[in-house]
Amino acid sequence: MTPQDITKLIVRTSMKDRAAFDLLYRQTSAKLFGVCLRVLNDRGDAEDALQEVFVKIWTKADRFAVSDLSPISWLVAIARNHAIDRIRARRKPAADIDAALDVADPAPGPEALVVAGGESERIHHCLDELEKERAAAVRGAYLKGESYAELAERHGVPLNTMRTWLRRSLLKLRECLER
Amino acid sequence: MTLAEDNGPERGGDDLLAAEYVLGVLSADERQIVSRRIDADTDFARLVDGWEVRLSPMAAAYPEIEPPASVKTALDRRLFASTAPAPAEARAGLWSSLAFWRGLAAAAVAALAIYIAVPYLNPPVAQPQARLVASLTADGSDVKYLAIYDAAHHEVGLSHVSGERAAGKDFELWMIEGKNPPVSMGVIPVGSTAHIVVSPAAQQKLAQGAVLAVSLEPAGGSPTGQPTGPVVAAGDLKSI
Repeated sequence: MTPQDITKLIVRTSMKDRAAFDLLYRQTSAKLFGVCLRVLNDRGDAEDALQEVFVKIWTKADRFAVSDLSPISWLVAIARNHAIDRIRARRKPAADIDAALDVADPAPGPEALVVAGGESERIHHCLDELEKERAAAVRGAYLKGESYAELAERHGVPLNTMRTWLRRSLLKLRECLER
Repeated sequence: MTLAEDNGPERGGDDLLAAEYVLGVLSADERQIVSRRIDADTDFARLVDGWEVRLSPMAAAYPEIEPPASVKTALDRRLFASTAPAPAEARAGLWSSLAFWRGLAAAAVAALAIYIAVPYLNPPVAQPQARLVASLTADGSDVKYLAIYDAAHHEVGLSHVSGERAAGKDFELWMIEGKNPPVSMGVIPVGSTAHIVVSPAAQQKLAQGAVLAVSLEPAGGSPTGQPTGPVVAAGDLKSI
């Protein structure tokens, strides 16, 4: 499926075309499930989230028309934001949870490296320009939806320090991307 | 009205806020505020889109994992279950529409300002934070309940103010927290007062001030686990 094909399916879904919606689900649910699973780290939760994500896609498909995003990025954004809202509602800022996450998922993971090698996307070069630890925090936040509080705990710095770190990193990223 | 963008990293600025939202580091409350702003402010929404575009290549790291078939079955049941497709669609649209819930919450806050003066309430003497109250009403509905969440006893007390359920129908109580789908708290027993026990999972969410809603359901409650009938009353829990 080309991006144009996905675009057509989203537009037809916005007109409540069920066949298009079914096909869109077949083509994109694996990717969006990957998003939900990575952020939520729990199969049952991710299945519930995926269902809700597609309810949103069905009801909000018309919004795609006013977005600047590519079709798959638009769908991923819906899934990511939904999964992050969901985990934010679930997670308590408890030290033991952070510790568990820390053990379960060292960053930057091998996946990020594969992507950096496989895709000549500028963002990876720009991330490489950041200090290692900060680039890892940016990737962890994006891929797993970690909050400032969780990142601060994991990196052993005060929350405001983490906030400043990441804001500076984001500004540097923007500057590098616009270079 | 917009915050200056040249405030620097410590002071923030709209573009940085948009970046933080997209990155996913904000707290639940902050995310709600930003999400509302995205709906209301197209300039800000464009900043968010810009960051979604910038950061989206990182999403290539998400693996593709085939979800179980049960997800699509449940999705179809949820969206298209009714034999009359049109109303089912409208309902699904309404229930999952953020604008609807936000509007509802706003309306409920306004309604609460009036209803808070209603009797029923003990003066909040020696029970700080222990009780939350909500007036449940909705436009176009005569159903009204006053809800009091008693954190110490893990129960929601409901006082039926007005409005009757139709024959063969029940009122079901739902909790809506953030952007999550409604969670059933059970069918509301008939009578002028009712007490509904709150599960441990729901307790914390209620304590943070969730929205309570009452929907009209088939006798015995929603068959799907999600609301299937119209919302006849809703309101925000507030501490008194």
